[in-house]
Amino acid sequence: MKKLIIALSIVPCFAYGQLDRSVRPQAGPAPTINIKDSEVYKTANGMTVILSENHKLPRVTFEIVTGSSPRMEGELAGLADVAGSLITSGTANRSKDEIDAAIDYVGADLSADNNSIRLSCLTKHMDKGLDIMSDVLMNANFPQSEVDRIIKQNESGLLSAKSDAGTMANNAVSKINFPNHPYGEIMTEATLANINRGMIEGYFKQTFTPEGSYLVVVGDIDMATLKPLVDKYFGSWKGGQPYEATLGSKNTNAGNRVFFINKPGAVQSVIQVTFPIDIKPGDPDYLKLNVLNQVLGGGGFGSRLMQNLREDKAYTYGCYSRLNVNRDGSWINAGGNFRNDVTDSAITQILYEFVRIIKNEVNQDELDLIKSSMAGSFSRSLESPSTVARFALSIIRNQLPKDYYQTYLQKLAAINLKDIQEVAKKYLTADKLNIIVVGNEEVIDRLKPFDADGKIEKLDAFGNPVKERIAADITADQLLDSYVNAIMPDMNAKMKAKKLKKIKSMQEVYEFTMPQMPFPMASTRVWISPNTTGSKLEAQGMVFQKEYVSPTEGMSTNMQTGTETYSAEKVAAKQKSTGLIPEMNYKTSGMEYELIGIEDLDGKECYVLKLNDGETESFEYFEKGTFMKVMTLSIQTEGEETNESRITYKKYANHNGIIFADEMTVSMGEATLSGKLKTREFNVKIDIDAYKK
Amino acid sequence: MKQIVISSFVSLLALQTTAQKEIKFTEYDLDNGIHVILHEEHATPIVAVSVLYHVGSKNENPDRTGFAHFFEHLLFEGTTNIDRGEYDNLVESNGGTLNANTSQDRTYYYEILPSNQTELGVWLESERMLHAKVDNVGIETQRSVVKEEKRQRVDNQPYASFITETFSRMFTEHPYNWVPIGSMEHLDAAQEADYVNFYRTFYVPANATVSIAGDIDIAQTKKWIEKYFGSIPKGQAINMYRDWELLSDDAFEGKYGVKRSSFDANNFLKPKDKAAAAKLKELENKAIEIPRPGKAKEQLTTVIKDTIYDNIQLPAIFMAYRFPEETNKDMYALQMMNDVLSGGASSRINKSLVERQQIAQFAFSFAYGLEDAGLGIFAAIAAKDKSLDSIQIAFDAEIQKIKTDLISEEEFEKIRNQYENQFISSNASVAGIAENLAQNHVYNGGTNKINTELENYMKVTREDIQRVAQKYLTQDKRIILLYLPKEDQK
Repeated sequence: MKKLIIALSIVPCFAYGQLDRSVRPQAGPAPTINIKDSEVYKTANGMTVILSENHKLPRVTFEIVTGSSPRMEGELAGLADVAGSLITSGTANRSKDEIDAAIDYVGADLSADNNSIRLSCLTKHMDKGLDIMSDVLMNANFPQSEVDRIIKQNESGLLSAKSDAGTMANNAVSKINFPNHPYGEIMTEATLANINRGMIEGYFKQTFTPEGSYLVVVGDIDMATLKPLVDKYFGSWKGGQPYEATLGSKNTNAGNRVFFINKPGAVQSVIQVTFPIDIKPGDPDYLKLNVLNQVLGGGGFGSRLMQNLREDKAYTYGCYSRLNVNRDGSWINAGGNFRNDVTDSAITQILYEFVRIIKNEVNQDELDLIKSSMAGSFSRSLESPSTVARFALSIIRNQLPKDYYQTYLQKLAAINLKDIQEVAKKYLTADKLNIIVVGNEEVIDRLKPFDADGKIEKLDAFGNPVKERIAADITADQLLDSYVNAIMPDMNAKMKAKKLKKIKSMQEVYEFTMPQMPFPMASTRVWISPNTTGSKLEAQGMVFQKEYVSPTEGMSTNMQTGTETYSAEKVAAKQKSTGLIPEMNYKTSGMEYELIGIEDLDGKECYVLKLNDGETESFEYFEKGTFMKVMTLSIQTEGEETNESRITYKKYANHNGIIFADEMTVSMGEATLSGKLKTREFNVKIDIDAYKK
Repeated sequence: MKQIVISSFVSLLALQTTAQKEIKFTEYDLDNGIHVILHEEHATPIVAVSVLYHVGSKNENPDRTGFAHFFEHLLFEGTTNIDRGEYDNLVESNGGTLNANTSQDRTYYYEILPSNQTELGVWLESERMLHAKVDNVGIETQRSVVKEEKRQRVDNQPYASFITETFSRMFTEHPYNWVPIGSMEHLDAAQEADYVNFYRTFYVPANATVSIAGDIDIAQTKKWIEKYFGSIPKGQAINMYRDWELLSDDAFEGKYGVKRSSFDANNFLKPKDKAAAAKLKELENKAIEIPRPGKAKEQLTTVIKDTIYDNIQLPAIFMAYRFPEETNKDMYALQMMNDVLSGGASSRINKSLVERQQIAQFAFSFAYGLEDAGLGIFAAIAAKDKSLDSIQIAFDAEIQKIKTDLISEEEFEKIRNQYENQFISSNASVAGIAENLAQNHVYNGGTNKINTELENYMKVTREDIQRVAQKYLTQDKRIILLYLPKEDQK
């Protein structure tokens, strides 16, 4: 006993008397986590209620998750997502405004997606919140005006997707890994056009049915309080049987396949190396595979892909891998964005890292670092009640042991080097990969060696096979002549010249709208013979941007960045495409142009004319037969960055003997604007100074 | 018997859960003056380790503005024992995350870590307090980062200068005259010695509150705090220690009159000879004086109306009233009054100016409560072709209305509901709790305000709201700033 006291009294002296601050504290033993067991019962109408009590704060969250599996949608691909974003848009009893106001009044939050509805509020307001939630669940009525709004939003989204290399790559990943599987169905303009209000309502009725659904409740509520509430608000919910399908994922490749999606003018290739894997949540291998993925490329800066392709080779700003494990299908993908000239080298290195992690055990330091970083982010995620709700549901849905998440950290700590190599061998099918590249055509030849049979499969922006571009049957000059004939119909050369001579100036105003923007924008463009142009974009009395270009000077003024005076080179470049009908001047203006062939564009055969004015590369698509211009794709490159804009022309109409497009859509990055002609005037007085600084 | 015990225990628990959710904490002072607040809860195995330094832009010299915010950046550069750039890595590779922020009144640093790394967090923050790298390499690096931040957040933002313009007119004497981002010229003009001096004045134990919340064992955490923070020298002795690290033997002896070799880094508080011990003791007993400006005395006496030309397209108006400091009882009612006027889409100003009259593109108000003074600001950007006069008239009508008529019961209830929700949500995370505890201790008149503050808001009546509107929304004493496009400048 005495010894013990002495020992105790010595300890503090030692601890406080001296301190070597350069010694870094070591971590204590891995903490245990306290995830309370949830309580579960089934209601008469077939819902499984899962309660996870958490009395830290007087708040509660109710989430209904349907038991339906994802469905094949075919010609209606995208229906579920469209329906999901409309669920809280109105009921037979409340307008959207009334729902919003009532939810605001109690400081609650209500949201929905294609298979769930979620309410979060203070416990004392849950009656009011549940009243609205159950109204939405049972009486959502999808007002036509809201349907129209959401469809419009999706149309813009699809247009943006066509110029976003990342989205194109993701579409291809889904499509290629999951043939004949709901995951492999991608919404296109054609399938979106097939979707109407009736189908949305149908989807909702079939999917949101009590039988097989889950009501996950997390927060400051106990079972005795919950049960009567469930009866009151969800007891009368009726519906049919949920749709159930057994879905899964399996790699059926015989060897590596290379897929290519053309992105004209790209200076970077987006590479995704991907393959489906046969694993479901809760599989004993899952956590090991997760650690493996973190070492390979999921763990940020220290991961192998990052170290090799960024730190060592400087091919990219970032190279990552992702592990996606779901009940209905799982896959791995690895990649990033790479300069054109290293596209093949980057693929080589990614494949090398796959092989290396299969062949050799990872090293202990690597493993330890990843494990502690994973343990930390797991622990931090537990603070959010929604994480706990997700766990509670996952335990029930995936038939996991009750303590699956409770013992997560111990399971993580127990993973060793052998485990990692075992799952690497089992799941990383390094010779049966899908290698997806979105990029510039100039890289395509260098991709052939990666394909087992040397045949590269070409896809469009939505992952569908494209027809190969074929050689044109006319010359570039013939194309330009045919275009001019098409837009100035029934005139011989002399008549055309006479007509054009009479036009000294033109002013056109288009009104542009964007779903995310509450007010329209006006775009004005003016031209004064022979070669002076001005343009401006304005809304709500603010001029966002304007530009002035004459044969001798040019400048642009931007609301945020101020005025830029153009260099002589830039003025010269701009001058290459001025004129009332710029195409007539290409032969003499110094514009470089080349007819590169005939391509399929949304089902239309088009001649593709490649242009370069020294500053901007662009591609103009002319429909075969009519010779009308369908689209202009412009690519501006600044260093590693490319900015792409895509203008689609519609509704051609005759103005003063010349045919112009009265409607157009312009997509740049995330934004898509729809434009309609307001006025087009010829030979009017133009105050050109208004376009200068 | 056992059954009964368990069931009564369960019902006891149940009883407790329906009662007010109190946030329990322990607080005490270390010998060197550091105030410590600990909150233990085991819901999640994480911990938030934070230090609040009672220094903000109001403690700066008028010719050295921007220093407080600059230090927020500088103090991630490393310490004597932590290499440059390593501070972030140490946290992140151990599963944690970190950040900091600066206001007129405070500078706040924190880490969120797995709870078995609590000691690491305590060590990291004690290192930052004791001997951060305050040298030219770090100063140069962070100067360019801060300049970039100012370009992004202030210079390139239309109307963003209104805060500077308002504060400089409202406070002619008090250092609220300038705002935390400060002057880039001052940062450029400052020498290494200026920065070192700032560190030695404000980054000292007596000016710090250590607040730790989460999955901790209080007894063990106290030991770590004693070990790492308790060993930081008290009073002016901390700067003797800093000199001991930086100076040569001769310079040290020249400055302190005792031998540098009498001290040892690992046992600094126990020097080897008596003279050194006496000097240490002497300096420990001399407090470092921290300059604080005290409450702002300026009151507006008239209407100050000015026009500012900016890179904007639409004119805007900013009106400012003098509110009291944040600890003033009237601030509860003023905050709630502000929510009636401007809390969300259904509030009065938005409904009237933006939706019904459509004279403003955006319109809102806010109540700014600071340690030494407060402000109420009304702001609106005009809709196309609408005059600033019409907006001022509309604002004045809303102000007149809230002074003349009691707000409706329904409006009052909505505000109370929103308050309660906000208040409760602010304590949802251990990081939020650590910050609220420290904030309440230093600025709001007591750590326990974290539990009682909501009651103070709930005590506010509709009559109180009307009363403070009448008292503080003084139409003959206010600042009116008109923002006009540069093109209009003649």
